Amino acid sequence: MSARRLGQPEVLLPTAAAGVTVTAFALLPAYTDAGLSSFDVYNTFQIFARLGLLALALGLTMIAGEFDLSVVGTYALGGMLTVQAGQEHYAYGLLAAVAAGAAIGLVQGGLIAGLKLPSMPVTLATYIALLGLTSALSGGLTKTYSNASVTLWVDRTVLTYFSPRSLITLGLFVLAAVVLSLTRWGRELRAIGGDRRASRVAGVRVDRLLVGTFVASGVLSALGGSLLSFSLGSANPDPGVQPLIVAAAAALLGGVSLTGGRGNPLGLLGGIMAVALLTEIVTVAALPAYVTQLFFAGLLGIIVVIDAPDLHSALVRQRTRLRAGTSRPSPAGAQPGNQT
Amino acid sequence: MSAPARLDAAASPGGRQRSRADVVINLIVVLAVLAAIVVGLSTHRFATVANAKAIITSAGLVGIAALGLTLITIGGSAVSLAIAPTVAAVGMMFLSAQSLGLVPALAIALLCGVVITGVQGAVVGYAAANPVVLTIAASFAITGLAIGISGGASVAPTGSGYDRLNATPGGVALSVYVLIVLALAVEWTLRRTGFGRSLYLIGANRPAARAAGLPVGRTTAVAWLGAGALFAVTAAFTAAFNTSANVNLGGTLTFDAIAAVLAGGTSIAGGRGSALRTLAGAVLIAGVSDILLLRGYSTGVQIMVKGLIVLFVVVIVHLRTKGSRA
Repeated sequence: MSARRLGQPEVLLPTAAAGVTVTAFALLPAYTDAGLSSFDVYNTFQIFARLGLLALALGLTMIAGEFDLSVVGTYALGGMLTVQAGQEHYAYGLLAAVAAGAAIGLVQGGLIAGLKLPSMPVTLATYIALLGLTSALSGGLTKTYSNASVTLWVDRTVLTYFSPRSLITLGLFVLAAVVLSLTRWGRELRAIGGDRRASRVAGVRVDRLLVGTFVASGVLSALGGSLLSFSLGSANPDPGVQPLIVAAAAALLGGVSLTGGRGNPLGLLGGIMAVALLTEIVTVAALPAYVTQLFFAGLLGIIVVIDAPDLHSALVRQRTRLRAGTSRPSPAGAQPGNQT
Repeated sequence: MSAPARLDAAASPGGRQRSRADVVINLIVVLAVLAAIVVGLSTHRFATVANAKAIITSAGLVGIAALGLTLITIGGSAVSLAIAPTVAAVGMMFLSAQSLGLVPALAIALLCGVVITGVQGAVVGYAAANPVVLTIAASFAITGLAIGISGGASVAPTGSGYDRLNATPGGVALSVYVLIVLALAVEWTLRRTGFGRSLYLIGANRPAARAAGLPVGRTTAVAWLGAGALFAVTAAFTAAFNTSANVNLGGTLTFDAIAAVLAGGTSIAGGRGSALRTLAGAVLIAGVSDILLLRGYSTGVQIMVKGLIVLFVVVIVHLRTKGSRA
């Protein structure tokens, strides 16, 4: 990997984030009295399994230049359907969740691509509606899942560090990475996120790809909810905003930009692993819950500010002005690189 | 993303098709309104004076917060998802400051709301940070701070001055009068002041507003400051009504306010909308909630219907906007 490639944000950010958190995690015994065991590594992968698919779902839509707020709604609904339809056999629950996720993605993608609606208000409305639907399905109560053997199976230890749940999540990340790097979908996804009109002119089937992205996002979030319900043995109708915050922070740390056109599944994997390691560090260090909350809010806030386009162009202008004193401004400096 | 969409719409269909599509859209809107009226009238005890009072009372609190959100939305900052936590935190401050008297407590609440929301507005205005993601982070931070300071407990009022906010002159809650006065004030500010006009321009086209030399950052920040003040007023009334406040005081207010603003027909893309539209949206949402409540539906169904109404209105407003620009 050349130094130039390493300098790109979608490579640099996840590498740096994962590197820093792995170091902080490995050095944990040095600054707390807690020792590290293989269980802590297992636990980190469990946290990864809890939120990984949500981050992947959100990240894929962000690469395409959209923002799917409804992922948490689908996540909650998927979990609830799994519990309510899967009491007989877990496969029915899984099927119901995946079907619902695909249907939600199809409707949203169809509206956004077909009517050229902005994704934020559509997915916000769906998010509200899905939270309501989940709450209506369960009467606002947490529902328990009675099939204990499934609950035991998804979380049993495999190869010391993993569980079937974290392996499934990891497998889906690898699948997404392989599909997006071997087919032209990966390039096209970044193209429609970067400049939609240009990619349409270049022959990318923008609408179909957008619908596909939203279906993938719906299915992944619903699956994430299913796995969580299997693991907890219950489903909560209102997951709150924490999953959304963590998923957004993971996607942004993973080198995806809010303006779209940047990022890949392996970067997302790096981002979510960094967040999972941070969560585990905070847990091992036994900080109060609200400190963790402030910590993640601060993290997301900082990333959003760094990602903000006007800050970028202001910095670029500043640099150009400084450089203009000595030599001609470089072409890169002369055009602030944002499309808003 | 929306610019190419408009061009496409302008280029492809002919004028006659456009107007036919407009007729269909208008027909759908009229049918939806008629259906709502029929369902309302056929609901037992819906068309009574007592129920009308209940509707406008519940529209009162949501409406004031929605007025604040209107400022944010018109200025092109989409929505704030931190309304409920802000209201909860300010409500807690308001009740714990009651020992100082009603007016100082109100002043503290206003200051609190203005600072909390204004900081977010400054970041959105000057750095063009994504407002939705930023306010998600802010909502988490505010709740975290509120739990850290209060220890997670409910705050009880330290005095009884707050009770004057629960007055019902003429049988209608004080908050309704406040809502009407504030709606007129916000509407006047938006239509008649330089600030209001700049806000519409910035919301419609930020780069153009910047190129025209408008103070984009400052105007956006001021709009958020105003929104913070309105959230604080909502907080004072909500806390006074509940006579205690914890981090869940806001409830579903974020969604309710968004639903009211969008249902009123304010475009989430910015540059369009008005305070009076939001007022109508708040009454509409309160009315629909009321029908569902009278018919015995659960909270979940009520939230779901709000979401579907927002989706419906977003689609309709988008189609109509496209039509009028073509």
